[in-house]
Amino acid sequence: MQISLKLKIKVSDIMSKKKTYDEAVIRLEEIVALLERGGKGLDETLLLYEEGAVLLKQCQEDLKSAEGKLSELRLEDFEKELSKD
Amino acid sequence: MREVSELTSGPLGIGHFVNLIRKTIKQDRLFQNQAIKGEVSQWKQYPSGHTYFTLRDNDGQMSAVIWRGRCKIDDSINEGSEVVVIASLDLYAKQGRVQLIVDKIEPINAIGEMEETLRKLKIKLREEGVFELEKKSLPLIPKHIAIITGTGSAALSDMNRLIDNRWPGLRRTVIGVLVQGKNAAEEIVRGISVARKLSQPDIAKKRGQPPVDVIIVGRGGGSPEDLWAFNLEPVARAIIATETPIISAIGHESDLLVSDMVADVRASTPSNAIERCVPDYNAIQMYLSELGERLDSSSIRQIGDVRNKLKLLSSMLKAAPMAGFTKVKIKIQGLASRLKNSSKVLLAKELSRISNFETSLSAVHPYRVLERGYSMVQNESGDVLTEIKQLEIGQRITMNFADGLADADIIEIKNKSE
Repeated sequence: MQISLKLKIKVSDIMSKKKTYDEAVIRLEEIVALLERGGKGLDETLLLYEEGAVLLKQCQEDLKSAEGKLSELRLEDFEKELSKD
Repeated sequence: MREVSELTSGPLGIGHFVNLIRKTIKQDRLFQNQAIKGEVSQWKQYPSGHTYFTLRDNDGQMSAVIWRGRCKIDDSINEGSEVVVIASLDLYAKQGRVQLIVDKIEPINAIGEMEETLRKLKIKLREEGVFELEKKSLPLIPKHIAIITGTGSAALSDMNRLIDNRWPGLRRTVIGVLVQGKNAAEEIVRGISVARKLSQPDIAKKRGQPPVDVIIVGRGGGSPEDLWAFNLEPVARAIIATETPIISAIGHESDLLVSDMVADVRASTPSNAIERCVPDYNAIQMYLSELGERLDSSSIRQIGDVRNKLKLLSSMLKAAPMAGFTKVKIKIQGLASRLKNSSKVLLAKELSRISNFETSLSAVHPYRVLERGYSMVQNESGDVLTEIKQLEIGQRITMNFADGLADADIIEIKNKSE
């Protein structure tokens, strides 16, 4: 019971605080390694799976969010633009 | 040898003699295109455009001339300047005067001063512990790269080409600045400050972009003077103050500048900067799908193991007396229902895999074949007939077409080999 309580807190952390891509990939690798090693109970397996699925989705979204336009301007134009903000 | 015979055949005219000397001087490589250093005195620039002066040091002196338009003369050169000249010795026969004809003149004070300032800056930064500061690591994937470099430069097009090879359409912002000359350092500093603003989450949000997470400051190769802006303190300070990981990518492999020493990453060339911070998109995609597959398969295997144990447990429970086991039973029931729910997600995945499989299966369904002009033959009990030996004369068969059936009787059987 102790363990599952701790795990639940972890999952809720994930839901509330968005990880950076780097953090997400590292945690996902960790989860896959844990599951592949085996020997986890059902509770833990399901929690790890859920967490992994969330992280994988986030990583894929992160990849997409790196796509964008190329903007090229002279220094002064950027300075003008930024002074408007 | 001719000169010697002339010498022996009688007195030489002085002009002739002087010209012989001139010839000797002109032929000796020691006196031609020689680099000579000294101090400038009697510096006079004439309206004709020629410049006359004397090059001297404590041990000697000689007059020198720079013909009009022969070379660029630094404004700082004047009476007392230390200079290096590339000059050839000549003898003005009419006056019997030797002088240096200057092809190139550079003030050495300026070079010396620059080197000295650089040396002092390096000492100062070292004493401050700047070189020991922890380097910020680059993100695994850059969501927004800022590149501070010369607009329209070869370095920029190299970088853009390389990015598009590795990750087509990766977001980037190019801040065009001067990278050499008097104003370069100031513009580079302002460029860094723009990039820093773009890396602030609130400003980035207003602009509808992710914050800049990698900054590249760089330019292609050039002379030490061309690259000098990257050796100046304001540029170094701006790099040090930057919270976002910053890559210094200046010139070639062999050029080591102060900006290289203070940046988080020193790239040997602008292209190398891209290699360092932009991963290959396809490789990343493949890696993520591999992780996803491993996550699914390892979970399914684990759940399978648990399910088997659970079955065992519940059968044991059924057999066991109820009293004292209620708690355990409730726990197992809870687990079982969670298993059902979570399995649904995995199950849905399996289902979609199966339906994909079905789609590809339906492409080879018999009816698809019939549509192409073939027909399928069945006997009266519905078996599909594929061989001639399944037939006999007088037998009734059913032929399946894509749009209907037809019955027929066998009147003759011919074996292919016959």
